[in-house]
Amino acid sequence: MTRWFEDIVIDEAFPLGSHTFSAEEIIRFATLYDPQYFHIDPEAARHSHFGGLVASGWHTVSLGHRKMVDALDAEAERLRALGEEPGTSGPSPGVNSMDFKAPVRPGDTVTYELVVTSKRPSNSLPGWGLLFNRLTATNQRGELVYRAELVGFSKLRDYRMPLKLRLLLALSRLPIIGPRLKRGT
Amino acid sequence: MTNPVTQDRRHFEDLAEGEVIVLGKTTVSKEMIFAFAREFDPFPFHLDEAAAKASLLGGLSSSGWQTGALSLRMLVDGFLSKVASCGGLGFTDLKWKKPVMVNDTIGGTVTIAGLRRSGSHPKWGIVTLDFDIRNQDDTQVLTMRLANLVECREAVA
Repeated sequence: MTRWFEDIVIDEAFPLGSHTFSAEEIIRFATLYDPQYFHIDPEAARHSHFGGLVASGWHTVSLGHRKMVDALDAEAERLRALGEEPGTSGPSPGVNSMDFKAPVRPGDTVTYELVVTSKRPSNSLPGWGLLFNRLTATNQRGELVYRAELVGFSKLRDYRMPLKLRLLLALSRLPIIGPRLKRGT
Repeated sequence: MTNPVTQDRRHFEDLAEGEVIVLGKTTVSKEMIFAFAREFDPFPFHLDEAAAKASLLGGLSSSGWQTGALSLRMLVDGFLSKVASCGGLGFTDLKWKKPVMVNDTIGGTVTIAGLRRSGSHPKWGIVTLDFDIRNQDDTQVLTMRLANLVECREAVA
């Protein structure tokens, strides 16, 4: 999230845009990462229960991630243009659940949307908050393609580091003590 | 109607809970990281070595989604291409335990954690697969539980 943890509104829909999948890119992704016959061979795919070529679920999900990165970049630009400082997001610890609901076929247009369903300060990472994000992907017929429950980190704006941690941080920046401290942890 | 593509492959009835699939290995090159990141995860720390050095991880790392995609590829090569697979239903508890850094070699095991017949389709079964992906130092980098549909030889009566 390019918003500070404190500014994130629960259940506000964040549109991420759309992508139209071509047969060429479906086959290119699956050849590298998911070479099952219904993802790479249009002829053989006719015998599958899909009845034709479909995108790897991992492909539609990776594209959803790309859409999120682009939307967050655009949001950061927008905030900078207003003279505000955008927030910082951290690495994601994981995905609680991912449900593939409808296959994506060549020519399908998938629209992605993100909603933060809840948030709380992190216990393990001082100064950061945990975001629980729901990402949904819908095709041009309004059918749900997938629903994901993702976990992310977002920096707290109003965080004041406890004295003990500030001291430790200052020590870790010293030339000789610092490296030893880091080795110890 | 038999599916000519999958008729000689292992079906749902041929699978056993507890079976361990030992995956092959993949070395993650700089070019692989750049190619995936350009298309799906264009953060500077996946795209630029100088920016990666200055980042939290101190070096070039693969996108977590690429680590997952490479794990899936190893499962297709070692298992799903020999099974009458009908595609994935989804997954739960995907955890990126440690970053995968450039030139790391990943591999590991996938264990059949569960087998059940589909409630909605008489000729389908659902296999749940537990991923345990590790790097060359035997450090766990990714875990998840994937649910995949598999054709059954015999329909439920």
